[in-house]
Amino acid sequence: MIPEGKSKADANPTKAFFVRMITRDITLEDCIFDLIDNSIDGAWELSGGHPMNLGDATDLSQFKISIEIQSDSFTIQDNCGGISLDDAVDYAFTFGRKEDAGTENYSIGVYGIGMKRAVFKLGADINIQSTFLDDGKRSSFCVPIRVNDWLVSENEHWDFDIETSEDLPQPGVRIFVSDLTDVAKRSFESPRFIQNLRRLISRDYALHLHRGLTIEVQGKAVLGWAIELRQGGDFSPMRATFTERIQGEDVYVELLAGMAASPPDSTEPSEDFDESLNRSGWYVVCNGRIVLAADKTATTGWGTEGWPQWHPQYSGFMGIIVFSSRRADLLPLTTTKRSVDETSAIFRQFRPKMREVTKEWINYTNTRKQVRAEAIQREEVAKSIPIFEVAPRPDVVLPRIVAVPKVPEANVLYSVPKPRMLKLASAFGNITMNYKDVGLKSFEYAYSDLVGED
Amino acid sequence: MASFDSVNYSLRPSKSVQRGLVFEGLRAISTALGLDNAVYVGFGSIWFTDFVMAHKVLSIDDMVSIETNEIGFRRAVFNKTYRTITMMHGLSQEKLPELLLIQGYVARPWIVWLDYDSALNEGVVQDFQWVLNNAPPNSICLFTFSATQNAYGDKPIHRPARIKALLGDVVPDDLSKDACSKEALPVTLAQLAMDYLKSEVADSARPGGFVEAFRIPYLDSVGMVTVGGILPAVGAVPAVRSVVSSDTWRCLTNEVIQAPQMTLKEVAALQAELPQIMQITRAHIQSLGFDLQDEQIQSFQRYYKYLPNFAEIVA
Repeated sequence: MIPEGKSKADANPTKAFFVRMITRDITLEDCIFDLIDNSIDGAWELSGGHPMNLGDATDLSQFKISIEIQSDSFTIQDNCGGISLDDAVDYAFTFGRKEDAGTENYSIGVYGIGMKRAVFKLGADINIQSTFLDDGKRSSFCVPIRVNDWLVSENEHWDFDIETSEDLPQPGVRIFVSDLTDVAKRSFESPRFIQNLRRLISRDYALHLHRGLTIEVQGKAVLGWAIELRQGGDFSPMRATFTERIQGEDVYVELLAGMAASPPDSTEPSEDFDESLNRSGWYVVCNGRIVLAADKTATTGWGTEGWPQWHPQYSGFMGIIVFSSRRADLLPLTTTKRSVDETSAIFRQFRPKMREVTKEWINYTNTRKQVRAEAIQREEVAKSIPIFEVAPRPDVVLPRIVAVPKVPEANVLYSVPKPRMLKLASAFGNITMNYKDVGLKSFEYAYSDLVGED
Repeated sequence: MASFDSVNYSLRPSKSVQRGLVFEGLRAISTALGLDNAVYVGFGSIWFTDFVMAHKVLSIDDMVSIETNEIGFRRAVFNKTYRTITMMHGLSQEKLPELLLIQGYVARPWIVWLDYDSALNEGVVQDFQWVLNNAPPNSICLFTFSATQNAYGDKPIHRPARIKALLGDVVPDDLSKDACSKEALPVTLAQLAMDYLKSEVADSARPGGFVEAFRIPYLDSVGMVTVGGILPAVGAVPAVRSVVSSDTWRCLTNEVIQAPQMTLKEVAALQAELPQIMQITRAHIQSLGFDLQDEQIQSFQRYYKYLPNFAEIVA
């Protein structure tokens, strides 16, 4: 017999557990990106909310997102329309998206967790201020959150107070966080963190920045990464578009792939940073946001059935798959937006197409090893063009090279002290010249002096 | 050629100003943190000028000097100014880790001033990392290196890539060749090297963190840079911050120190006009019977207290 009042075991989460859990498995950078995503969703909605495919010409140049990082505070401010009071009361601060929440057209946000998780990860004293247009009239409010007070307040009440606030200069949102968490404090003391944040913004928001959006970090605008593939001569990237119907909604898919840079001459490990190696791989874009970049893992198929593991020999390949839908929940987004949901049907459906084009490249690099000089000549003809200008084509075009008999080659491998190598590179006119070129030049120099003409 | 063969460290005016500023700063931090039991680590060369100051100004007894050059090492052993200086023979990248093996050193703060003859290179950056990761709490680290432009690439356009190869992600992708010109390079390198030190400590989550304290670009026939800071124990952070943020702290500057080479007679004449609050004008110098450039006058007026006494013998 269960005594009265003891027939239910309490399974409600505590606030502290909840905060700890939601902030645990996400990086600080991705939290900041969640806040940028919210701003962009506002801007995109105000701009008409079109499908976010590469050909879309939406102009975002009137919108600006500014991030200011200090050793003891974090501020993000935008002019992207703000949160309305009704949305704040009913949806914006709810942990998780409510079933009755309307769909934001082609938004990046999907789970209704980003802003809360981000501010909790950043600090304990938070002020979210919004100015919005209410029937054409400017109106403002703020939501101050003192995390430690909120945590110790009664567990049944998870609400935040909404208070009156001064207007921001333009309709938009300003989030100010102080009393930083240890992880935020430590990161914000690192100039390297801030430089890398700029680099990540440049890459992951490249498609928005290309449309004129301004994102500033420390008062300086971030330049978008110019994503380019090489076209010309025997090379043409593929660019194919598809529309799939899922749950009564269209999902638009665009697939581009080809050569972004010449493959490396050597695949030996090198201590020097290799930009093209770093940028090679698959990119996945969901409603305009790059959620997976330069992937060389099983997530995008490498090393899975019929597809070899990534190898540096394949450097130079770049593939981009762009998903776009009015309903973001149909896209292969994860909650952190730092990877793809591999179980997503739409993603799985397109992986074979990604594999086909990747294998074309793998075959090319295998042949290339035998006819390197000729391949290099052909690759030099192909010029980099922005992905937006790639002509539609169902398949990638790569040179069909046949190996021909050649003069046997001798490979030279030797080590010298690095300072001497740098001095010689400098004497050849460029201290940053790669070691191989220094070696070749030295050989040609000595050959010309000691052997003369062939 | 090792630099001890060409230069007597005690006589270079800008170097003297830099050294004077550094030791004034070290004394203030030492007072705030009570660093009487610190260990001094440096490159004493055969002159041991900074070691003499560490002993006299900071009352430090235990000191370690590292010397790479074989003859330099023998001469340093002969010339070392105090019994309590330990000499180490070898590259700093190899010898610094041996500090941890000396009895008691891991439990005492270190004042490490690695004053290189060379430009920034992979070995110097390796030393940055080692010191920042291994120096005990309340240690102070300083690094001096050459900012001579050709060491980073003959042509300005090559220098950003070389600096990026050395200092990595802290270097902005848009670092311009103008920021790497002969004139701008000392300030650029000072800023980026400091960013590197801060990032290295922040990224390794060192308790107490890094407090930026020394950033001194100066011209000593070639551009030179001194950067450094404090690695405080957690509880000492407020005291250290208070020292380096005070109005009297002079060791964080973006102005390149260019102390003029002057004769004893000129020094005596100009010094007799000081101290004074008003800026001494070039016309006034001319009225004294000689002449200097405006920047030289300004530099002298600002730093004359730190200039060397030309007849001084270090002992």
